Amino acid sequence: MSSSLAHFFAWLEHSPLGAFVRSLGVWSYGVINLVHILGIILLFGSILILDLRLLGAWRRIPLATLSQPTTRMAQVGFVLAVCSGIPMLTVKTTDYIGNPFLLIKFPAIALALLNVWLVHRSTAWRAHWERELLPAENRRLAWGAALSLTFWLTAITSGRMIGYW
Amino acid sequence: MAWLFRTGLAAALVFAAAPAFAHHGWGGQEEAVTTLNGTVVQGVSLAGPHATMKIKVGNDVWDLTLAPPARTERSGLKEGLIPVGATVTVRGNRNLDHAKHEMKTIYIKQGATEYHVYPDRE
Repeated sequence: MSSSLAHFFAWLEHSPLGAFVRSLGVWSYGVINLVHILGIILLFGSILILDLRLLGAWRRIPLATLSQPTTRMAQVGFVLAVCSGIPMLTVKTTDYIGNPFLLIKFPAIALALLNVWLVHRSTAWRAHWERELLPAENRRLAWGAALSLTFWLTAITSGRMIGYW
Repeated sequence: MAWLFRTGLAAALVFAAAPAFAHHGWGGQEEAVTTLNGTVVQGVSLAGPHATMKIKVGNDVWDLTLAPPARTERSGLKEGLIPVGATVTVRGNRNLDHAKHEMKTIYIKQGATEYHVYPDRE
């Protein structure tokens, strides 16, 4: 791992947020971890339902009926996961220097978010609110769904493995 | 096309759900118990997934991993009780990788005071 990243980790650990989280008592890490898990449940549970629909499951349910609640719940889950993940990272950040799973997780999240952005600006996604999609448009969204599941599963798997390194 | 995705997805989920290849805790540690005598470099911290401290043995600084914070505290070990510079005797299971000076700690003794962090492992 590059030394500039190691410096950043040391800075994060010694930040006021790190000191604050470390002062919160013996149950704090467990509680913050719980919020992180709840966030991931919301995020991935919602994404899984939407992506499976885009991949061809439950075709009788109109896409727009599913996409509205699932994207909203995924947003809420993502915010919960970020707001709990950063404090967890600040507790003993330097412990993670040299942890390869961290270096898989964050690029995977970046790719997942890039994919969200690309799907949401696609013609097919914009059209699905108003009309039935053409086969080519369904295929476009199916590719987005496959990438979405790949990136989020990679992020979640590598995130879980951070603690086992 | 959709069928292909679905099959691939099912396979991916099965792999993701397969039992983790390692587990938190003792999988990466030696069976044998090691005893260390050293001086405290960094006192007990009860933050994070596990309590930690650092001691110096000879020229090596050892990372001691204790129980989760609440359990460590129940053993009587609180932050600030063992001062930096104090001499301690520590027993635990060291990392299988001897290049790492890391030990999962079962027991700590400072002076006449004993802390049984994992009594069931003694």
